[in-house]
Amino acid sequence: MIQLHNVSKLYPPDNTGVRDIGFQVEDGEFVFLCGPSGAGKTTLLRLLFRSEPVTEGQVIVNGRNITRLKGKGLAAFRRRLGLVFQDFKLIPHMNALENVSLAADVTGVSWRQSRRKAFALLSELGLKDRYGALPPALSGGEQQRVAIARALVNDPELVLADEPTGNLDPEMAEETMRLFARIQRRGTTVLIATHDYRLLRRFEGRVLMMRQGRLVGEQYTAGAAASP
Amino acid sequence: MKSTHVVFVAGRVARSLRELFWTHLLTAGIMAMTLSVFGGFLLVQDNVRALVRGWSDEIQVFVYLGDGVDPAAGEALRARLAAYPEVKSARYVSKARAWEEFGKTLGSQSGILEGLDPGTLPASVDLELRSGHRSREAVLALVRRLAALEGVQDVEYPETWLEKMRLLMTGIEWLKWVVGGFLFLVAFLIVVGTIKLAIVARQDEIEIMQLVGAPDGLIKAPFVIEGMVQGLIGAGLALALLRAAFSLLTADLLAPFGALIAGEQFVFLSAAQHVHLVLMGWLLGTAGSMLSVKRHLA
Repeated sequence: MIQLHNVSKLYPPDNTGVRDIGFQVEDGEFVFLCGPSGAGKTTLLRLLFRSEPVTEGQVIVNGRNITRLKGKGLAAFRRRLGLVFQDFKLIPHMNALENVSLAADVTGVSWRQSRRKAFALLSELGLKDRYGALPPALSGGEQQRVAIARALVNDPELVLADEPTGNLDPEMAEETMRLFARIQRRGTTVLIATHDYRLLRRFEGRVLMMRQGRLVGEQYTAGAAASP
Repeated sequence: MKSTHVVFVAGRVARSLRELFWTHLLTAGIMAMTLSVFGGFLLVQDNVRALVRGWSDEIQVFVYLGDGVDPAAGEALRARLAAYPEVKSARYVSKARAWEEFGKTLGSQSGILEGLDPGTLPASVDLELRSGHRSREAVLALVRRLAALEGVQDVEYPETWLEKMRLLMTGIEWLKWVVGGFLFLVAFLIVVGTIKLAIVARQDEIEIMQLVGAPDGLIKAPFVIEGMVQGLIGAGLALALLRAAFSLLTADLLAPFGALIAGEQFVFLSAAQHVHLVLMGWLLGTAGSMLSVKRHLA
């Protein structure tokens, strides 16, 4: 469960960022953070995976206040998260399998085990024949699926995705969103920041609307495209 | 650190050494030059020390006797001095013997002594010192004691030579640390720079590793190990360079001087000095990379 209590993150000199945010996400929920560019979605996600400290307030994930986490505690917290980014953040000189298993390697599981798990995930995401390819040789959609596989390799309780469809064509974007819906149906909490309202309303979930650094509304989408 | 982490770090180090091969090699080369210069000073120091030891074997102290000391008293003094712990051998040289030996020394020029009084040269007791008593300080102490003896007119020993050798040894010691220290500082800064390059080159990778929750140690360890590897390779190269230079110099250039050294040959670095140089390379690389990681890896 995620809880945000009066969270603000303000950047000098003009104090842009997010202000006085409070919401709660239950385990296994599918939640969209939606709003135009500059609304503060990415900032809020960065606070959730503790890439930046809050200026005020508390961020509690699974009962643990993460606002002051650092060092070993922060690393351990991140190993239980799955993170997906718009620019994929794949290491270009490592092939798809190595990129995925990297996240497992750092937890200390055996080399064989991490490769086996990574390969299984890539196969599940339709990249069985592309595991040896380097990221530059993969399409945008394939790269995003590799990034999603990496996010899932440690069986995270929570997946955070920042504009995961931003660099994809509409067809691939919908396919990727379906993938997230599938992950959520398995019981994983999924929180996606996106500005693409037309896409997200095709999926069943809760939408938190943001504008100018504030949470301005909340609604539920019925969804129509969630099924594969 | 878990065994999978060891494999992981080893893979990272191998990849970086491959990708930044020339940068790492250049740094190792500079470390090799630094360690070679330091090792070179050690070599010179050791061989000069051996040279001094060789020459010291021939150090003699001449105790000149006054005119009033007759041969019997001179012989008695010889026997007394021969019992000194510092003295290996003592030989009484009468005035006549001294004159005769001086003539022999002059060889074909001995004719110039004709007409001169054979009693011109003083009688003496010539002392050869034991090996543990040939240092400048020991010789000076002995000379002071000898000069105070009754019947002794003067005591002569190779003071200037001993002093010069002492100065030479001190100079080499200072140069070793001043020049070596300066080069160590330069090499250290270059290691810091090289590791910074490696960190910058892998900035994205580091960020991704932090995002997937890699422990700090796992992110930093490869960079520190790269520094260690650079240091060890640098030390290995330095030893190879020194060995090659030593073989070349002793075989051709310095061979004629070899006979002046104790044991009649030049000596290369000892096993302990090999270990010291390797440790210095390792330390240089490790310290440089640790500083770089601390400064540049947030």
